[in-house]
Amino acid sequence: MNYLLNLFIEFLDKHNFNESIGIMIFSILPFAIIAAALVFVVLMLVYAERKILAYMTQRKGPNRVGPNGILQTTADAIKLLCKENIELLHSDKVIFTIAPILAFSSIVVLWCIIPYNAEFHLIDSTISLLFYVAVAGFPMLFHFLAGYASNNKYSLLGSYRALSLTASYSVPILFTLLATIFLADSMDLHKIIIAQEKVWFIIPNIIGFIVFFIASIAELNRCPFDLSEAESELVSGYHTEYSGMRFAMFFLGEYAALFVTAVFTAIIFFGGYQPPFGVYLSNILMGNCRCFNFLIYFEQTFWLIAKSSIIIFLIIWIRGTLPRLTQKSVMNLFWRYLTPISIINLILIILATRG
Amino acid sequence: MSIFKSIKALIIGHFTVIKHMFKKAVTKEYPEERPIVNNFFRGKHVLKNCTGCGYCKKVCPAGAIEVIKKDKDLVGYVIDYNKCIFCGNCMFYCPTKSITLTNEFELATDNKSDLKIDLLEQERTI
Repeated sequence: MNYLLNLFIEFLDKHNFNESIGIMIFSILPFAIIAAALVFVVLMLVYAERKILAYMTQRKGPNRVGPNGILQTTADAIKLLCKENIELLHSDKVIFTIAPILAFSSIVVLWCIIPYNAEFHLIDSTISLLFYVAVAGFPMLFHFLAGYASNNKYSLLGSYRALSLTASYSVPILFTLLATIFLADSMDLHKIIIAQEKVWFIIPNIIGFIVFFIASIAELNRCPFDLSEAESELVSGYHTEYSGMRFAMFFLGEYAALFVTAVFTAIIFFGGYQPPFGVYLSNILMGNCRCFNFLIYFEQTFWLIAKSSIIIFLIIWIRGTLPRLTQKSVMNLFWRYLTPISIINLILIILATRG
Repeated sequence: MSIFKSIKALIIGHFTVIKHMFKKAVTKEYPEERPIVNNFFRGKHVLKNCTGCGYCKKVCPAGAIEVIKKDKDLVGYVIDYNKCIFCGNCMFYCPTKSITLTNEFELATDNKSDLKIDLLEQERTI
């Protein structure tokens, strides 16, 4: 981040701006970039999911609004903004109002700890992995509160299911992330990425990847683990009573979480922003010319997003294929299979690295 | 082992889905691309050389047909498409084969009263 700040101040200096203005703008600018990117990515993800699911079921998907339907999600978002917020008679008004906002903002916090390239990250911490694990469970808590506050039996049942799901998926996730910490010797996401310079962690930790991938789908509350909003049984679970922008908060938060989980999986198992062949393309193309040094940062972001979009495609593919599991079989899967497997995987990795 | 069986089934299922991704979509975009209906399709009625015997009115199960006569002359033949179920009985029982059901199926209107159509008037205009 300091290097980018220096570049920015240098750039402003050429155009006769004061250094303090540069520092002031730079404290706001990254957050503005993240906010803009979040809205763009979420709208594109909704569009991509609808399009991919349509192709998987031999339909055409949205194709009327804009070229190839690309503005469909923007139109939907504007529609949701304009709709009325319906309040129920016997609901807990404060929690009912605050739950979608907190569920969305806790995901935005997750967006800020991701290292998008070697320099650009908003919150730099030596324990960012731990921070991720702690905050990633927050949306489920607010889903529970939303269902609890809306005074509806479907919402309440959905939020109970969300809680029981949280208890079961977080155990295997923690054990696989512990294995990653042992492999990288650090909880800093930057150091985890640098540790994967030669070999991606998916090779020593392939079992961990499978467990983490399944558990992260449950964390995202998506098919086949979307039992907390099972449409055919519970209307739509915890957000049955939500409408307008409050519903949009949950909806957009879901997709923002999808992106951030995919990026996080790419960082933990696929080398993050490292190029897949060990050489940066911009270094080959530009030679040793120092004037285009900053291109490497764009390339790093490109690799990160490319890897995460493959993971997003996998998640959508799974949604297009599998039916929803019952609550009993979800518990069965997580407690009887994934938790023991992840513990054995952790022991094997500790023996391999320390033994 | 049942677990290996189910993992195999999972993989087969996923690849079936990906295979379908590259097939042509079955969706027909309606106003631009009209569906081709078969020859036995029962759509909107057409009247030709009706004698006004009133047989169709008797066999109509929905009571949608109204034959209006004035001194043994046919002056109106009204079908109420609010009631018509497109069973084709009128066509089947017509002794002179003067009423037929065409392939036309686009009957949607903004106004409910537009669905009462005088076929005799239509015949005259054609």
